[in-house]
Amino acid sequence: MQHKIKHFGCLLILMGVVCIAVIASAQNSAQIPTPPQAKAVALVGGTVHTLSGPAIENATILFDNGKIVAIGSNVTVPADAVSLSIAGKHVYPSIIEMVSNLGLIEVDAVNASADYAELGDINPNVRAEVAINPDSELLPVARANGIGMAVSLPRSGLISGKGALIQLDGWTWEDMALKAPVCMVLNWPRMTNFNSPWVRVSPEQQKRRREEQLKALSGAFEQARAYQKAKEAAGESGVPFHAVDARWEAMMPVLKGELPLWVNASEIKQILAAVDWATRENVKIVLNGAADAYMVTDLLKSKNIPVIVGGVLNLPSRRDEGFDSPFALPLKLYEAGVKFAIAGGGSWDVRNLPYHAAKAASYGLPVEEAIKSITLYPAQILGIDDRIGTLEAGKDASLIVTDGNPLELTTHVEKLYLQGRDIDLNNKHKALYKKYRQKYIQRGHVAPTDSE
Amino acid sequence: MRKNLQKMALFLGSTTLAMALLTSAHGQTMPVVGIHENTPNVVALTNAKVVVAPGQVIENATLVVRDGYIAAVGANVAIPADAVRKDLSGKVIYAGLIDVFSNYGMPKERSQRSSGQNGGSSDSEAGPAHWNPAVLAEKNAAEMFKPDDKTAETLRKQGFTTVLSFQDKGVFRGNGALAFLGKGDPGELIYASGIAQGMSFNKNFRTRNGDYRDYPNSLMGVIALIRQTYLDTKWYENAWKAYRAAPAGQDAPETNLALQALQPYASGAKPVLMEASDHLSILRAVRLADEFNLKMWIVDGGYAYRRLNEIKAAGAKLITTLDFPDAPDVGTIEDESTVELNELKHWDIAPENPGRLAKAGIEFAISAAGLEKPNAFLGNLRTAVKRGLAADQALAALTTVPASWLGLSNRLGTLQNGKIANFIVTDGDLFDADTNILDSYISGKHYEIADEPEVDVRGTYTLTLIAEAREDTGAVILAGTISKPTAELRINGAKIKAKSVEVSGGQVAISFAGDSIGIDGVIRLTGLLDGEHISGRGVWADGSAFAWTATFADAFKEKAKKDREKPIKMAEFPVVYPEGAFGRSAPPEQPEVVLVKNATIWTSGPDGILEKADLLVRKGKIAEVGENIEAPNSALVIDAKGKHISPGLIDAHSHIAAAAINEGTHAITSEVRIGDVIDSDNIHIYRQLAGGLTMANILHGSANPIGGQIQAIKLRWGAAPEGLKYENAFNGIKFALGENVKRSRASNNTRYPNTRMGVEQFIRDQFQAAKDYRDEWTIYNGSKKKSPNMVPPRRNLRLEALVEIMDDERQIHCHSYRQDEILALIRVADEMGFKVDVFTHILEGYKVADDMKKHGSMASTFSDWWAYKFEVYDAIPFNGALMNEVGLLVSFNSDDAELARRMNTEATKAVKYGGVEEAEALKFVTINPAKQMRIEKYVGSLEVGKDADFVIWNGSPLSTLSRCEQTWIDGRKYFDIEEDKAMQEQVARQRAALVQKILNDKSDKPANGRRGPRPTTPITMPETE
Repeated sequence: MQHKIKHFGCLLILMGVVCIAVIASAQNSAQIPTPPQAKAVALVGGTVHTLSGPAIENATILFDNGKIVAIGSNVTVPADAVSLSIAGKHVYPSIIEMVSNLGLIEVDAVNASADYAELGDINPNVRAEVAINPDSELLPVARANGIGMAVSLPRSGLISGKGALIQLDGWTWEDMALKAPVCMVLNWPRMTNFNSPWVRVSPEQQKRRREEQLKALSGAFEQARAYQKAKEAAGESGVPFHAVDARWEAMMPVLKGELPLWVNASEIKQILAAVDWATRENVKIVLNGAADAYMVTDLLKSKNIPVIVGGVLNLPSRRDEGFDSPFALPLKLYEAGVKFAIAGGGSWDVRNLPYHAAKAASYGLPVEEAIKSITLYPAQILGIDDRIGTLEAGKDASLIVTDGNPLELTTHVEKLYLQGRDIDLNNKHKALYKKYRQKYIQRGHVAPTDSE
Repeated sequence: MRKNLQKMALFLGSTTLAMALLTSAHGQTMPVVGIHENTPNVVALTNAKVVVAPGQVIENATLVVRDGYIAAVGANVAIPADAVRKDLSGKVIYAGLIDVFSNYGMPKERSQRSSGQNGGSSDSEAGPAHWNPAVLAEKNAAEMFKPDDKTAETLRKQGFTTVLSFQDKGVFRGNGALAFLGKGDPGELIYASGIAQGMSFNKNFRTRNGDYRDYPNSLMGVIALIRQTYLDTKWYENAWKAYRAAPAGQDAPETNLALQALQPYASGAKPVLMEASDHLSILRAVRLADEFNLKMWIVDGGYAYRRLNEIKAAGAKLITTLDFPDAPDVGTIEDESTVELNELKHWDIAPENPGRLAKAGIEFAISAAGLEKPNAFLGNLRTAVKRGLAADQALAALTTVPASWLGLSNRLGTLQNGKIANFIVTDGDLFDADTNILDSYISGKHYEIADEPEVDVRGTYTLTLIAEAREDTGAVILAGTISKPTAELRINGAKIKAKSVEVSGGQVAISFAGDSIGIDGVIRLTGLLDGEHISGRGVWADGSAFAWTATFADAFKEKAKKDREKPIKMAEFPVVYPEGAFGRSAPPEQPEVVLVKNATIWTSGPDGILEKADLLVRKGKIAEVGENIEAPNSALVIDAKGKHISPGLIDAHSHIAAAAINEGTHAITSEVRIGDVIDSDNIHIYRQLAGGLTMANILHGSANPIGGQIQAIKLRWGAAPEGLKYENAFNGIKFALGENVKRSRASNNTRYPNTRMGVEQFIRDQFQAAKDYRDEWTIYNGSKKKSPNMVPPRRNLRLEALVEIMDDERQIHCHSYRQDEILALIRVADEMGFKVDVFTHILEGYKVADDMKKHGSMASTFSDWWAYKFEVYDAIPFNGALMNEVGLLVSFNSDDAELARRMNTEATKAVKYGGVEEAEALKFVTINPAKQMRIEKYVGSLEVGKDADFVIWNGSPLSTLSRCEQTWIDGRKYFDIEEDKAMQEQVARQRAALVQKILNDKSDKPANGRRGPRPTTPITMPETE
């Protein structure tokens, strides 16, 4: 809020309606979703990082009806467009968090606020989007740092259900869902034993559990294929009626290769087992987590398996690994030509996603690649790069305006547009900050700023 | 009668013997039922090689046993007329082995002690026992002793004749019993009791959750219990002494059998045996021994080689075990990835541990404890000898050393006149792989170990088979071993290998195929050896009989032993500190003078940020900061052009490098100390150095309103625990409020308090108790002169920590979230007269910053954590900036091993959220945490005179795109990103070499088949945050 006022003082007058909304929300700690874009907007004079080509300095980006109309140095701004000067500022595509539970959890330790873990091991039919709480306080917190979109995932059992790509603004989950489903979540069983001193489950018990899980997994796919066969044979002579099974019905797009499985697999044995299994099952997979992916980059490249790096700000997974092994993973994937995106993986801390990418950059990944790994590459892996991920005419006007490189913590996200809608960047945190500043202003501990 | 007098003579001078030595078949006190058994037991073992003591050998000697003792030993001993002679030509006699760490004869069942929360049955409740069921000092192993001949036989087969047994439960385990491994009644086998008190860091039983007697459930709590118990033991003595002198008008102290039993151990008159396991727990034991002047024997699980210097310096006496691990599974590349270099090295080095102890000059005994299969003992012992332990030292560690420790050198451990006849007979050098133990004598009683035939039939014989129709001549060659001979027949020029040979006494039975002498079927012979002749009968395949004779022609010649033994492969790589990946062979050097030039220096001091500046370090201290500093030619000069220098980062809230974090049983555990359980092996130390961190404040967890004492460390990677502890650290303690202490996540909490209301009352009540405690001592100290026999108050370490807080000798770091609980504690503190120095977490500090400031508190917070639990739903990332603006001293902490690797960019969040100026923001992770830990005089900023703890960054320390290149502590470079690359390569090379060693020699593994003991570990999972 402070910065918005500083940098956009004049704009607020132009955009009176939004301004009132912001103030209102600040008073009651709730942000009001922005309606569809009604007027063309031109952001003039900033540096536009299209990510489809070189950055364009002193450029204009014009968007209308939620879509980008033109980007360049010589864009004609229509007379009825809202024209904002953003000289000295930067424009990037909105950041996309690939792995989150946003909307499905409010407070980690409060079970009643969690909706990401259905009972049982095989839940392909559940879909994340229907349980997204649009009024979650976590959403405005994440988007205030430029994360305008996120994939929200179920995460329990073996086949957890279907994930959805949501925009972090809307009145209902239907408003918010940008693409759903985007994936079927599969948790690959742990393939190595825990041998930590405090693990009391014996190695034999762990092995038995692993075998049961692998059997349950292959069993589910066998049953789904049997169901598929029976359904395809419907109507042929001698084929009786088959009742619907919601689980296997949900698996059809997976079996047909239309919906990728996001396989949570971090350890090398999991990765090898998952890739082997996917090859034999002839299903499309994306590796999620994948800390050990650097060991098999050639395999992943040859099989065209994308990787979602499950956080860069992680500890090495083994004592003997270099301290920098998680920091260097994206670079190794990049150098090997493996398609990858970087995820933060969380809920309340989604706002820190850019700094995962920054860490990879500080250990050798080119900065532009680091930015693409949280914008364009997620869009590509999600199969929605025809609409988001870069700034090009015809694509969604989902973008951020910043005062610097979004990978730097000192950079502020000053504006977020989702499909041309100017999103309220206020949130619970800013509101509480504002409120308690008042306490200390009242009591003389803090000097008020001009706007206070 | 005469016999008993003789034995009495043996006991003279002993104060430790509780039981009588008995060698007759029954105890002297037992009435004889039936006929008296009076078979004499006088044996002369002749022509033997007698190893009287390690290094002292008599060839061709005679050893005379009379009843239970050695009557004579030597080369020219007159054999008594009443002695039965046994010819031991070619045999060797050794003193019987002694194991001073055994649980032979002790109860096996591991029943859960204690029970329901309101009591229930527990053997600790009968009689005036200690309140804590882990303090079993008054128990006597002798009283529990039940001989078990199957186990005894297993031990005899390994050469043992004597053990010191302890029960395997409890922190204090009671008096050990010295037992002989023969057959008989306990009264015959128990030789002595009350020699040593058993102790362990592992109480080895669990009580039901929620019982106050669960305490301790952490290693830290165990050590605190030991400490308080020794203090109580002293108090108990003094209190009773005072009371007995003047009972009138005084309350009697409690009666406590455990404290009574501990008197001679607490005074150092008698030794305690401390079951440790790894090198770090040995060092922990050493500290306790020092603190209470205990005479201590420490059990080493085989890891002592990892800290030999420190153990040697401490003068520790060890009981080392031979639990050598199996080769780790490295069959596939993926399996190998689950194995750590330190495990590979442990496999490689463990068999050399005893030898290394000996070379280091550490006094040690050897125990068979820890072996999964006791019959692996001798094999492992021989491996240890092959791998560098001198045979004499091995023997000493199992005979003379333990005998001396037991105070029984005059009875046990050597083969000298008058000593107890506990010895073993072997057919060769005890440390030779082929040698068998043949006999064991215990109290003079003979136990056969290997059933060796009395007759050696081996040799070459002429052979004649005499049948009606034919006569065949040739030879039979009996070879192989005495108990399993082989036979080869030469008949009519044909060589025939016998199908079977059986020998029993002088009877010889041979069968062989007849085809090579033109006879179908199998021919069988049985004969009797008489002098040099064997004669007997044979049966052809058709059942018809014939006679045969054989005559001795030539003696059996042992084939020259093929060099079957594999070449000895010693360990590949030297030990590093800590052992495993990224360990160092020595501490980094401290150059006399270091000059870092041309850098942007973030001083975190009054100088702010200096551009193009230099930093001069002398002998580990900052000598100068400024422009164009000159340095002597000898100085190490680092050109840091384009680089940034910051002070070493400090984390005021960490949980790394400790073997335990929570003693979560009682609601107050102010007596437990993180400093007791520092884990210098923890890899996070190195990983955090790589992120520019130089100090961490290791806090107790948040399981109780009043938690344990905390420990500030410097990340001097490679140092032992004592070397990590910061010399100038101020005493601290952890408090906690809110959800964790009221156990919100436990479904059935039974521990008071259960609400924030109760927490406030609990803390108030504890401080009231501490005040009363202080008053009690004041009164006592004031009237002690007038009434010297006043019963003294008991020292209470739990309350003393609170007294220290009230005296401002100990500062509080209080885990806290919500404004109500923060304010409530401030009010209790104001009222009770103490200060809450630092509120940690303090995520709603922004709501009551003015009250905190007024109280004098500081705030150590997360930069931007929120919503992970209900009480942090109102947490905001502006918290730090707003508290700072109100005037509180603010730091950002990690509470997390990963986050602590990037505290620099945590500081940047104060810039991002709330607009704190950059140099000021960096202070949130440098000088501000130093002030909060009250060490700002020494660290936290780059100012003259302070410790030279600094970091070289390749860009602004606040930039997410910068990285740490070097980290210096005390003017020593502990991390260098280039050296790290070399180390990563070295780790890979060493792993590869050890994996090849395993793959090339899979058979070279000891028989016990497991990974080796784990270092002492926390009993519960750490609960942090």
